[in-house]
Amino acid sequence: MAGKQIADSREAQTPQAAWLIGIAAWALPGAGHLIQRRWARGLLLGGAVWTMFLTGLWLGGHLFTVTSKDQGLAALLQLLPMSANVGAGLLYVICWITNTGFAEHAQIVTYEYGNTFLLVAGLLNYLAMLDAFDIAAGRKQ
Amino acid sequence: MKHLFWICCFSALTGVVFGAVAKGTKRHRLIYGLKVFAEFVLAALVLGWLLYFLPFR
Repeated sequence: MAGKQIADSREAQTPQAAWLIGIAAWALPGAGHLIQRRWARGLLLGGAVWTMFLTGLWLGGHLFTVTSKDQGLAALLQLLPMSANVGAGLLYVICWITNTGFAEHAQIVTYEYGNTFLLVAGLLNYLAMLDAFDIAAGRKQ
Repeated sequence: MKHLFWICCFSALTGVVFGAVAKGTKRHRLIYGLKVFAEFVLAALVLGWLLYFLPFR
């Protein structure tokens, strides 16, 4: 029984490449699957996340960030949506460097749709990242 | 109509991702993706009508 558990735990060890693929999948939506030659799944996932993120920006949505002005609860309220936005990986980082999409355009009719698209793009990329990681770790086909 | 269009876009993209990461055969994943799409659109319509009857103004 104990021997079987030790064997199982050895099998459960995650290969180092899986972590790198997970990071690549987060950084560039779809890349984690494309690296593993899962062309269709990579294009579907990457395409959906990229489309959602860019559409969100186009609709006037804004990205969340925590600034030095936010203290206490205000900082926490910014942190949760920011963690969703950060899921988009380098798309978020590039927007942050170029200061794109951080301004609020609440007067635009599609502003809330844009926000939702941006938030969900990040969250969906977390799902895609976990999927790529599981495939690389051999836990999923 | 614009709102319905964006809801359909959102639901379609979400359905694609959910279907792609799901387990099972291609057919099962396709059906699951379509189900997610339909559920999102239906939930948005039902909630939209519920909010319509609430006296916010």
